[in-house]
Amino acid sequence: MSITERTLSRSGLLKAGAAGAAGLYLARGGGARAGTFELEGTTLNWLTWSDHYANDQLKAVAKAIAVQGRPQLFSDNADAYLKIKQTGSQFDIVSADGLWVPKYVASGLTVPIDLADFPVSKQLYSIAREFPFWKAGNKYMAYPFSWSTVQIYYNPKYVKTKPTSWHALLDKKYAGKISAENIPTDMMAIAGRATGAKKPYAMTSAQISRAKAFLQELKPNILKLASQNNEVVRALADGSAWIGITNLGTDDRVKDAGGPVVKTAYPKEGTVGFIDSENMVKASKHQDVYAKFINTAEQAPWIAKNFLTNGRPLFNEKAYKILVNTGHGARARRLLYNRPDLALKMTIKGPASNEQAYVDAFNEVFGA
Amino acid sequence: MARDVEVVSSRAGLAKSAYAGWAVFIYVFLFAPIVLLVAFSFNANRYGTFPFTGWTLDWYRQVFNDYQIKDALVTTIKVALAVTLVSTVVGTAAAFPLVRARLPFRSGVRIGLTLPIMIPGLLIGVSLLILFTSVFHFQLSPWTAVIGQSVYTTAFVMLLVAARLQGFDPALERAASDLGANTFNRLRLVVLPLIAPAIFAGALFAFTLSLDEFIITLFLIGGHNTLPIYIYTQIKFGITPEVNALASLLLAASLVLIALAFVIPLVVRKTRQALRPKPA
Amino acid sequence: MGEVAAPAPPAPPAEKESVGERGAGAGQYAGFLPAVVLYGIFFLVPLCLIVAYSFWETVDYNVVHHWTLDNYRYFFSVPTYARTLWATLWVSLAATALTIAMAFPFAYWLVRYVPRRFQGLLLLLVILPFWTSYLLRVYSWLNILGPGGAINRFLLWTGLTSQPVSFFLYDRPAVILVLVYLYFPFAALTLYASLERFDWNQLKAAMDLGAPPRTAVTRILIPQMKPGIVTAIIFVFIPILGEYLTPQLVGGARGVMIGNLIVNFFSGAQYTRGAAAALLITGLIVVLLVIFRRSLQVEDAYGSRR
Repeated sequence: MSITERTLSRSGLLKAGAAGAAGLYLARGGGARAGTFELEGTTLNWLTWSDHYANDQLKAVAKAIAVQGRPQLFSDNADAYLKIKQTGSQFDIVSADGLWVPKYVASGLTVPIDLADFPVSKQLYSIAREFPFWKAGNKYMAYPFSWSTVQIYYNPKYVKTKPTSWHALLDKKYAGKISAENIPTDMMAIAGRATGAKKPYAMTSAQISRAKAFLQELKPNILKLASQNNEVVRALADGSAWIGITNLGTDDRVKDAGGPVVKTAYPKEGTVGFIDSENMVKASKHQDVYAKFINTAEQAPWIAKNFLTNGRPLFNEKAYKILVNTGHGARARRLLYNRPDLALKMTIKGPASNEQAYVDAFNEVFGA
Repeated sequence: MARDVEVVSSRAGLAKSAYAGWAVFIYVFLFAPIVLLVAFSFNANRYGTFPFTGWTLDWYRQVFNDYQIKDALVTTIKVALAVTLVSTVVGTAAAFPLVRARLPFRSGVRIGLTLPIMIPGLLIGVSLLILFTSVFHFQLSPWTAVIGQSVYTTAFVMLLVAARLQGFDPALERAASDLGANTFNRLRLVVLPLIAPAIFAGALFAFTLSLDEFIITLFLIGGHNTLPIYIYTQIKFGITPEVNALASLLLAASLVLIALAFVIPLVVRKTRQALRPKPA
Repeated sequence: MGEVAAPAPPAPPAEKESVGERGAGAGQYAGFLPAVVLYGIFFLVPLCLIVAYSFWETVDYNVVHHWTLDNYRYFFSVPTYARTLWATLWVSLAATALTIAMAFPFAYWLVRYVPRRFQGLLLLLVILPFWTSYLLRVYSWLNILGPGGAINRFLLWTGLTSQPVSFFLYDRPAVILVLVYLYFPFAALTLYASLERFDWNQLKAAMDLGAPPRTAVTRILIPQMKPGIVTAIIFVFIPILGEYLTPQLVGGARGVMIGNLIVNFFSGAQYTRGAAAALLITGLIVVLLVIFRRSLQVEDAYGSRR
């Protein structure tokens, strides 16, 4: 045998042996049911964002009620919508923003819930239980989680003038210094706001072209389109980006990452914001366990922890009280945690009236 | 033999050092990123970038307690075992007619064989995605991923076994046939035992390929995770240096296995030599 | 294997079936059956689907069986997409050229200057990074190339720059660099194998006949190396064309390659457009494979890829 064959077979042999042994051990000791790809208890496949859960939280929930949440991540609501459509009963829970929720329900992909089945919902601000766009008869389409505006964060060391308009970002001296999330629909909406569209999620073709032109001009200034807001934080922290377009709490997170002080700026043309939630997938085979899972996972102590890690406001009022009692009240108030009413004043993220045109326009600017 | 070609000239010495210098650069180039990867697994900074905010073993602790990693590992191994079984059986069976049968369009066959290897894995994943979701209306699962990976790995097994089979001495089979063996026995008692090392190598190669396979699996695995996909999600969605810790562990495991791969035969050989009865 | 020489058999009488040779009869093809099933259903059919899809339309996320060239027309009409296609070609060429250029001196050094007993070990050291996950090898570069990364830190520390240089990451050079890093071991292995088979006595003979060393190398060594070099090029260039992960992770907004476009189309359920893009690059690959089919020998195709 040639040297490669020899190397391959010997180390391959040992690798296979070790892997096989590990597999057997895990299969028996780790609680796997033989012959299937599932683990003990029930597993709920959860299509979500990275800031909706913490590993220790999932572990504790699994221990408490023998239901294991298994997250898979996505960044754009449009991608998640398609995935749920394509994969049938593969996923049990899907996280969704604001006006996407009614679209999921209308397409028969998710099911509204009865909040009476969810005692943990009593911990929420009352306003969160009564969003008009989530009402479905006497049921509620989604379980509310968090909210935030999307605004500009900038590093004052390099960005000498506070950007008060989206057009300020087009300045050539910011070439390759801006980081934003890779969400075509919302980026187009922001561009629509910047070019004067009154309804950023229902633009006419002319408005779409103008928004596209704006993004085209912005493109050389974009360093990277991030998959989650963690990446934007990282870019700001290590200095590769001077400007980030992202949600509340970024300044704290950048500081935690050992990065410089960054400041907020709200462009005068206005911006968009999100109200996100957890939704029960219609085709899910574990609908009976969904309530149990939410009731355990969405308890105030976990939500409070989530706030401290991710810095944007959530809808759990009891968690706010916990934060105040543990000395984080000032930070919570600064980040508008106790003002959930402001959430309704935002232009809430949702699907575009002509989703395809938005995505096409975005793709034609950025490629991929 | 190469080193016999000594040229006595001052420039030769210079050339030799230049080449050696280049080699050193290459090794630094190859290993520096990996060294850094391991170093960052000890970085207390949860965003995994410079600056080093402190030393910690937390990430390693997290790896061992992480349900998702365990889950991904189990799925990865199960998929790899299934893929190995399929590709070894199919690939070995196909190697025989490839070498022995009369084949028209030899060139075409050769291209056709390398096609699954040379075509971007992306294409295999994407085309099977369409097949499963739009035509068959199957649900995506680790089984669809097994099929996708097998398409890729079987070609390798076929090539490896075929290469060995090509060098196989037909006289042996003829002798067996002369002694009365029919086709089945010939295969069972003469051919297969002798090409077993190649089949084995092919199986192991398929296993190794499957363990690290990413792009085809990404499209076809549905709601589950394999280890490469888990690592990719961690990298893409930039969570914590836990992935560095995982990487370091995987690297350490590979190193241990390779070291063993060389040490064990040596030990075996030495023991055999020691145990061999001394000549009178 | 083969050491025990079988006694030369008498010429087999006509009735005995031929053994182990290219014989006649349909039974000889039996072994192909499982492979035909696997590849027929799960390789050829999907590929044909892709071809068909590239000529059909997507209307409102559903594929309509209406034959049209629109997908291709659309693809080339969008400057970003067309540019990405050409960029993919030249990035692949650059990465391949760089990889071969870097691997050749290394392989030469290994064969020419290193004692035989160490060659295996040193080669193994080169292959070692191969044994870590492909993903991790790409990821490891993020820590080096970024503004907070090793290169910039070094430059700042030595005072060569006063601000982090962002040239190194999230652009095409970064993609090329990482691709070279990923494919180098493979090129080195192939070139080493080719160089090792070379008969160095020829060079000695040439110099005995009066040729200066450089002429000996260029007129004797290089021509014999050509098949090996071509094989190395084919096995590096073609996979790079279909690369997706590396540009995704280190390419940023400017380092997009066609693999990313294809994935983006398919993730967005734009199957027909994605199929057209996929066919463009696959067509190119198939054409290259046909042109260079002689380099695809079973013995030369080392089998160890990636």
